[in-house]
Amino acid sequence: MKKLVKGNEAVVIGALVAGCDAFFGYPITPASEISHKASEYFLPLNKVFLQAESEIGAINMVFGASSCGRRVMTASSGPGISLKTEGISYLAGAELPAVIVNIMRVGPGLGNIGPEQSDYFQMVKGGGHGNYKVITFAPNSVNEIFSFTIKAFEIADKYRNPVAILADGTLGQMMEPIEIKPLEIHPPEKPWQVDPTPASNDRIITSIYLDFDDMEQYIRTVEKKYRQVEEQETMVECYRIDDAEYIFTGFGIVSRVLKSVVDKLRNNGTKAGMIRPQTLWPFPRKTFEEAAKKGKKFFVVELSTGQYVEDVRLSIGNQPLYFYSRVGGNLPSRQEIIEEFYSQVKE
Amino acid sequence: MARYEIRLSGAGGQGLILAGIILAEAVVKYTDKQVVQTQSYGPEARGGASKAEIIISDTEIDYPQVNKPDFLLALTQAAYNKYQRDLKEYGVMVVDDRVDISLRGGPTYQVPITRLTREKLGTELVVNIVSLSILNYLQGIVEKDELEEIVLEKVPPGTEDLNKKALDFGWQLGEELNQYKIAAKEEEDE
Repeated sequence: MKKLVKGNEAVVIGALVAGCDAFFGYPITPASEISHKASEYFLPLNKVFLQAESEIGAINMVFGASSCGRRVMTASSGPGISLKTEGISYLAGAELPAVIVNIMRVGPGLGNIGPEQSDYFQMVKGGGHGNYKVITFAPNSVNEIFSFTIKAFEIADKYRNPVAILADGTLGQMMEPIEIKPLEIHPPEKPWQVDPTPASNDRIITSIYLDFDDMEQYIRTVEKKYRQVEEQETMVECYRIDDAEYIFTGFGIVSRVLKSVVDKLRNNGTKAGMIRPQTLWPFPRKTFEEAAKKGKKFFVVELSTGQYVEDVRLSIGNQPLYFYSRVGGNLPSRQEIIEEFYSQVKE
Repeated sequence: MARYEIRLSGAGGQGLILAGIILAEAVVKYTDKQVVQTQSYGPEARGGASKAEIIISDTEIDYPQVNKPDFLLALTQAAYNKYQRDLKEYGVMVVDDRVDISLRGGPTYQVPITRLTREKLGTELVVNIVSLSILNYLQGIVEKDELEEIVLEKVPPGTEDLNKKALDFGWQLGEELNQYKIAAKEEEDE
């Protein structure tokens, strides 16, 4: 079935296909339609929808419902994610699966409701305290928001870790058709879950180990899990990179523009290609390393003053790197990026 | 139609976002083309000048925002002032007759859409559907009855008859549109 929906609605439909049991949220532009649609779709299906008293309330309800073994999610935008960040650290610390959606707006502070990608550090580098990682998907279309949300629930359960969908106001607000197919979803058994049965009396869900050695052992175990995620769950799209001299790279909405930049430059005789991470953590470091070894040069475009670019820099040794950014709610056009490319690189 | 950009603008509350969604749904249902619909959101959508935009393309849509519209509808002066600037030189412009415009080269129609809608249908509420019908008459995006089917699916229950009349009236205005055409700006001699 083809359905024309906003990116925000695609999140909710994806969650339903994935068998999500509960949504706890608090509205914020440009993510509000996720709450609206969750309230519309969840309640008639006897699933839980709850608008919490605040973002902090919502994320702690996620903690509770996840402890009980349910598939559960929340959604917000940057300022709300800031408030949820303590809870995300606790979720990761207690190894609880959950899906967290961030439809980025402009920051810092209140900023405005336009699109930006300046929550990259916030989601990808942790944001909260302690050694933890949030597995972070970066969709670039409404259809990918839909399919990545389904995948996010699966990965969250597989690794018992919070998983983020990181998109921006453009993607959340724009409508595109998605292809909805019912899936056979079998959430895994969760022998660790707490419930009212006596069997669960011995199960403790916690992030606290008072003994230093116990604590270290636990942190090392989780660390191993993260290495495994890096090995197995990295997702990246490469476009016309084989013979490319210049690799354009960006994530989310920017990558769509970069793809057309690549095509246009190719028509003009410049060998261009694109690397587009679909997961930001784990970061597709190997793909960049291999491209760097072949002597390629890199042109990074992002909607922040320079966050994603740091991970690219770390992966490409001393290869030349050029950078262009737009902020404040603006999205660069193909022509603008091409002009920037010629002014920085070709002169 | 490699890439065709439409911008519908007016005051928040005139229903242009719904009109944009209807058109986009019709394109998804009845054509093989790609479509992206975007709109004003936040407080903008609830007052002042607001817009809905639809991009229709034979190929994948890389840039999801409207850059240079091929078609502009402006129902209010504020919307015209804010959103006319990027219209393609020979793009089509349809404005309400209360809107003061500067002369331009491309096809321009100054139509009393709001007044005629009120006189003919007894309410301005359906000015969005009248406008959508004019647009579809001019551009032939989908068949008339295809658009009607989506309109009837999407409008609030109980307003189907009114909206069907609005569609027919918009089509009729489309047929009479030449009488509202504004003379083009004369080419300046270099």
